[in-house]
Amino acid sequence: MQKMQSVNIHLIKVLLLIVVLYTTTTTHAQSRYSLTGTVTDEYNHPLNGAAVVLENGKTGTATDRKGNFRFYNLEAGSYVVNISFLGYKNEKDTVYLNQNKVLSISLTSANKELTEVTVMQSAMNRKSENPLATELVNSAFVREHLSGSLMQTLSRLPGVSSMDIGAGQSKPVIRGLGFNRVVVAENGIKHEAQEWGADHGLEIDQFTVERVEVIKGPASLMYGANAIGGVIDLKQISTPAKKSAGGSVLLNAQTNNNLYGASAKLFKRNNHFYFKTHITYTDYSDYRVPTDSISYMTYYFKLKNNRLRNTAGRDRNGSLILGYLGNQVSTHLSISDNFSKSGFFANAHGLEIRNSTIDYDKSNRDIDLPSQQVNHLKILSNTSWMITDYKLNIDLGYQNNYRQEFSEAVAHGYMPVPKDSLERLYNKNTLTANVKLEFPIHNKHQFTTGLNFESQNNSTGGWGFILPAFSTNTSGVFIHDNIRFSEVWSVNAGLRYDLGNIHTDAYYDWYLTPQDNSQDTYMQRASELKRSFGSFSWGVGAIRKGENTVLKMNIGKSFRTPTAKELSSNGINYHMYRFEKGDTTLRAEESYQLDLGLILKRKNWNAEITPFVNYFPNYIYLNPTSDYYEAQQVYYYSQSQVFRTGGELLINYNPVKHLSFSVDAEYIYSVQLSGAKKGYTIPFSPPLTSNIGFKYSPDTKGIFNKTEIGIDLKLVADQNNRVPPEKKTAGYSLISVSAGTTLKIGKHMAELNLQLNNALNTRYYDHTSFYRLIEVPGQGRNLILTVQVPFGDI
Amino acid sequence: MKKVIHAIGVIITALLLFSCSDTVKDEEVPVIDMSVTDAFPQNCVTVYRGESFTFKARFTDNIELGSYSIEMHNNFDHHTHSTSVTECDMENIKSAVNPFLFLSQYTIPAGLTEYVATTTIDIPAGVDTGDYHFMLRVTDQSGWQTFEGISLKIADRK
Repeated sequence: MQKMQSVNIHLIKVLLLIVVLYTTTTTHAQSRYSLTGTVTDEYNHPLNGAAVVLENGKTGTATDRKGNFRFYNLEAGSYVVNISFLGYKNEKDTVYLNQNKVLSISLTSANKELTEVTVMQSAMNRKSENPLATELVNSAFVREHLSGSLMQTLSRLPGVSSMDIGAGQSKPVIRGLGFNRVVVAENGIKHEAQEWGADHGLEIDQFTVERVEVIKGPASLMYGANAIGGVIDLKQISTPAKKSAGGSVLLNAQTNNNLYGASAKLFKRNNHFYFKTHITYTDYSDYRVPTDSISYMTYYFKLKNNRLRNTAGRDRNGSLILGYLGNQVSTHLSISDNFSKSGFFANAHGLEIRNSTIDYDKSNRDIDLPSQQVNHLKILSNTSWMITDYKLNIDLGYQNNYRQEFSEAVAHGYMPVPKDSLERLYNKNTLTANVKLEFPIHNKHQFTTGLNFESQNNSTGGWGFILPAFSTNTSGVFIHDNIRFSEVWSVNAGLRYDLGNIHTDAYYDWYLTPQDNSQDTYMQRASELKRSFGSFSWGVGAIRKGENTVLKMNIGKSFRTPTAKELSSNGINYHMYRFEKGDTTLRAEESYQLDLGLILKRKNWNAEITPFVNYFPNYIYLNPTSDYYEAQQVYYYSQSQVFRTGGELLINYNPVKHLSFSVDAEYIYSVQLSGAKKGYTIPFSPPLTSNIGFKYSPDTKGIFNKTEIGIDLKLVADQNNRVPPEKKTAGYSLISVSAGTTLKIGKHMAELNLQLNNALNTRYYDHTSFYRLIEVPGQGRNLILTVQVPFGDI
Repeated sequence: MKKVIHAIGVIITALLLFSCSDTVKDEEVPVIDMSVTDAFPQNCVTVYRGESFTFKARFTDNIELGSYSIEMHNNFDHHTHSTSVTECDMENIKSAVNPFLFLSQYTIPAGLTEYVATTTIDIPAGVDTGDYHFMLRVTDQSGWQTFEGISLKIADRK
């Protein structure tokens, strides 16, 4: 018995030893666990790109296309998992890790405005997912940095700038490329207007913006022709929460041009059906510049009260979105109409200096001649089906852009005095259809394939000829694969082919031109032209996504089809005093670009550097020659080889809890390697620009929350690198001050933002502004106030 | 990893160096000189209908001149003044009946940095008298343009 007992004790000891050994060895091997999981929406659709952050581990990741996320090598212990995704309510979960765990998280959609933190996280994730340089902002960014128009607001982003037509209109520019080289897409459909015009602003209401992704680089692969310089991708993706109703009212006032604006939103959702509607009205007067006179050549215009006469305007926009969210199908239909009317500076339209009998100074709110009026109607439908792992998207769109430009009826050259003031009329109808299928293969691959069709018809009118009527048809097919080799490495590759044709009409002058040795004749300005263009686009990118360091590389080719104006214009542009001649033999413009990206995320700072090298074998530009036609200088559309390089740098530093400091800079260098302007840059090259910002966000208690006070310094270098007929532009610096807070009213949070732009009322010239040519400085000091008050279930 | 960062560094440095090596470009616009002997028309002069006058001006450029153009149109509506600092006396605003219009362009022989242009302009007898603009434009081979707007009158010789 004694012996038995000792044997037993011995056995127990051995067993204990084994257990101890086992546990210690297993602890040694298994002291670190993995935490994996899937993030889906309320209908079990996987969410791609949701941010998953371990709060105490200070590490984060983004879900892949199947909604999966993985953390490895985690020590045992308890973790707070924070899951966020744009348009959805945040989820927080506490997990105790003593073994490998698999989580399944479902997010519910929220109409709620998203916090800055969520956006920053999502933006970081998007940057780590796309091999091209990207920026992602939401409506809160728009309210915080609100300017007179969408692109002026977005120009705060590094690599993004705007070509301003006064205070209320602007055009997008990405890394120095604009006009038809930037695609603006709204819910997957390309915005189609008269992008070629230097004085044609973008017809989008900045208050409807919910989410903007800017792709800084050639993106024809996914967006088709013209996305050669980049993409402004706008989405109204948010869906209201189940059985909710509410809305918000936003008021906006600006002191410089006495702007007042109001925007109201309303939404309601039962179970599957929802609607969202919005209406915006904005009215502004002539804007003020920090000078009492403009002197151009020896022309001298005295300004009344520093106002640039006849630059007042008004916008009227509205939209209605009807949506259905099913288990497998979700669809939404949106109808929007954007109307704007604005005046052009009365003393000089383009380079055309005119005295007029119109009493412009009788009111600074009225819109006299010259002026422009544009109505953009859009009907878009987006539908997606989820069938197991397959996702099918069908986007359909109809757009009508109706643009009228009015000028005083005066004789020019051989043209007699016209009968009315309608100088130019463009009426463009566009039909678009996109089909896209996404599906995974063997877990590692995520394939996307699709077809795009677009058909346009553009008719013209008015007495000023610059562009013939035309119609185009374009179709494209693409395939794209995202291969995830490991947690760290992923590769993107894609190929696309587009085939398009353009048919321009013949145009004859409506007046007679005297001929040397024959009868007076109605001159033919454009001959009928039929051209077709086919082009391949491709891209290959790789991402190495470490915990704190992301490295990206992408090489790709994009293209753009020449516009009707580039192919067949053949007339005098009396705003610019030049004879513009198209070239019917132009080839499709192509661009090859290498993009690199380095993102560093550290404890209290992060940095990003995104350089690029770009080559155009046949860049199309309007080349001023030494010749004259009907006494005006001849400008030919020509093609040349262009080399471009540059990039953006961004550093964010939080030295202490409530203080943040940021520096960003953008630089572009362009040079033409061949052609008549060899050695010169390309037109509208933006200067080296840097922004330095400080932000103080104190902990505030009581009714004020999320208070922020900031000061920004914008430094712009001289732009001496120009091409005829541009002028050199001196550098400048601008100071702006901002403050924002939220006020708790009942269960709602009202948001208040105040900005003081150009605080010192500095006189400066913007190199890419439409009014730069005639020495008109940029907008003077401007105090901007926005108040947003939500109501209902928000 | 370090190698990749190093490679990026090398590329950026190379690009920055490249971007500093500017090629020589023509940065100068041509110049119109109306101070040579017999330069005509000067601001505020009068020319006569039924007669002709001789235009004369001197053009210079740092590299090579291109061509020039002359445009004469009426300023009966006082739409703007000349590019000259001196203002001329203007007649009252009136409507055009048979206004004089002249549009013409001229080449400058190749390879010149200096050129004295002369040309004769006939003013028909039947055109409207009154205020006119004489627009003179000159280019160089790089496509830079300069212009001069001169105010003058067409009248009847008494």
